[in-house]
Amino acid sequence: MLSIKIGLFLGFRQIQRSNPWTTILIIFVMMLTFLNLIAVSGILVGLIEGAERAVRENSLGDIIISPLDEEDHILETVSIIRELEAYPEISAYSVRYNGNATLEANYKERRDLSGERDTAAVIINGINPKQEDEMSGLSTLLRDGEYLRDDEEGYILVGAYYLKEYAENFGDIFDTIDAKTGDTVRLSIGDISKEFTIKGIVESKVDEINLATFIPEREFRRLFSRQDRNAEQIVIRTATPEINAEVSKNLKNDGMSDYAKIQTYEEGLPKFLIDIKKTFNVLGTFIGSIGIVVASITIFIIVFINAMSRRRHIGILKGIGIKRSAIEIAYVIQAAFYALLGSFLGAVVTYAILIPYFDKNPIQFPFSDGILSADPEVTFWKFVILFIITLIAGFVPAWMIVRQNTLNSILGRK
Amino acid sequence: MNIIEAKNIHRKFGSGELITHVLKGIDIQIKDGEFVAIMGKSGAGKSTLMYQLSALDEPTDGEILIDETDIIGMKENERTAFRLNTLGYVFQDYALVPDLSARENVMMPLLMRGITWAEASKTADESLDNVGLKDKYLNLPGMLSGGEQQRVAIARAIAGKPKIIFADEPTANLDSISGKQIIDLLTCLHKDSGQTIVMVTHEPEYAKNCDRIINMEDGLIVDEKNPWINRY
Repeated sequence: MLSIKIGLFLGFRQIQRSNPWTTILIIFVMMLTFLNLIAVSGILVGLIEGAERAVRENSLGDIIISPLDEEDHILETVSIIRELEAYPEISAYSVRYNGNATLEANYKERRDLSGERDTAAVIINGINPKQEDEMSGLSTLLRDGEYLRDDEEGYILVGAYYLKEYAENFGDIFDTIDAKTGDTVRLSIGDISKEFTIKGIVESKVDEINLATFIPEREFRRLFSRQDRNAEQIVIRTATPEINAEVSKNLKNDGMSDYAKIQTYEEGLPKFLIDIKKTFNVLGTFIGSIGIVVASITIFIIVFINAMSRRRHIGILKGIGIKRSAIEIAYVIQAAFYALLGSFLGAVVTYAILIPYFDKNPIQFPFSDGILSADPEVTFWKFVILFIITLIAGFVPAWMIVRQNTLNSILGRK
Repeated sequence: MNIIEAKNIHRKFGSGELITHVLKGIDIQIKDGEFVAIMGKSGAGKSTLMYQLSALDEPTDGEILIDETDIIGMKENERTAFRLNTLGYVFQDYALVPDLSARENVMMPLLMRGITWAEASKTADESLDNVGLKDKYLNLPGMLSGGEQQRVAIARAIAGKPKIIFADEPTANLDSISGKQIIDLLTCLHKDSGQTIVMVTHEPEYAKNCDRIINMEDGLIVDEKNPWINRY
């Protein structure tokens, strides 16, 4: 205890009397190390979280109701919808019907009947435009044109990847048609065909949107002869994501699980996405740990030079009876001071500047709006690791110098 | 009563053919309250002898009893504790911690003994007053002259009321006026409180106030005399 007290005193005095510019530089290095540790993995994980966020906001919502494994459709969809209306925790929902169809453009201008037709195999989503917009904000994803209205028929929204103009970067990966807003296209389901006017083009970081077409559910059911009104998917937005599990449980308790599979967004997350997230986290931590190694070497060198240049004073302190442990603690205190202040500033920069900045100005990636993800608990544990390694990096050189022969230190002998 | 008893002290440095035999079998006794000067030419082994007697170094061979405690074979932490509680040091070049004020330098060994901050501070101020450094409590060593720094070192050495003070050429880095002041200070300390002092010096002028002068040559004591005899 006495050694800690003396060590603290000596350590603080050394910090207090040290060159302020050197101190600032060391703290700056520690801050950068902390940022490297948090920000690199944060951005890598943020890429996936950004994608997840986009899927959650624009496609799947907070709770997903889908058909039971042995069924093609959600059974008793109408009853389920009636039940959902009674839940105050549910702020919006959308019932989706979907099927496969062929979309054809430029068929009226086609002169050579033996030539290739301008077609694309598409997924058709039958939606209630108003409900879907409330749930997923589909109208905000319009790249061109206008959103669907409930009271009109014969209009279609087309995902950008189905259009040659927008999908040209992807080569021949997707079937595309050469059409634009206002063009007439023909939708064919088996022998049934109907003409639609492209009312708008939707584009999102979520591929499910880019690779979908949307028509009002009334027309969908008519085209696909779906008179039972049993849908393929119901997506739900809750008041706050924290209550998802509770709402999901309540829905199951209400007996809905007899007719459909009910999952929260997290439960429904594809495994590959979870694996990518973990991999990116490991990758980021690995890159960040290189920063830790660099910082620990920096601290080691700083403390070593500091202790080496004070070798004689260390010898004198030992000579007049100051315990070795007290002198070692003084150097550990210095390292702790650099680590604490550097990490604190790094945390301030991360949480007060970088995260809000990237939330407002996400990094534009093809598949997501990259944010900076820094879970406070993970950050705390990374700080603990950085702190412990810094303490060791401060202790080892001090120990090396302090353990030297007292008289040799005093006399400056090797 | 002897406070220091050393028998057959040898100190060798190096190994094999490069071995240097610095102390070649020294016997020495110093009485409690005695002021002893160890003199000799450069390389005579006077500082090496002082390091052995002051538990800063361990002889290659021999026995040393300080205040009836055998210091040979002590573990390092035991030697450190022994130095803290029994001995005081004044080094040639002041040996103050540059980050600490004069008061804090003096307080260090006191704090290590477990004395409270307030008490250590009060004792340190009194010690600094005794060496004539009132109003310089808060000065850093760099803000003090060489003589003042050495006086801080003396204040640090006496603050804990050690049984013996070892002074290794305390005037070597000082001008003649400051040097004389330091010697006067040590002499007063010895006269007023009966403090045992062992001082290494090569200045006969500064040794004349001591009770005994031990002359060394080539690692051996060649002569001992009382400077007060035949003075008048």
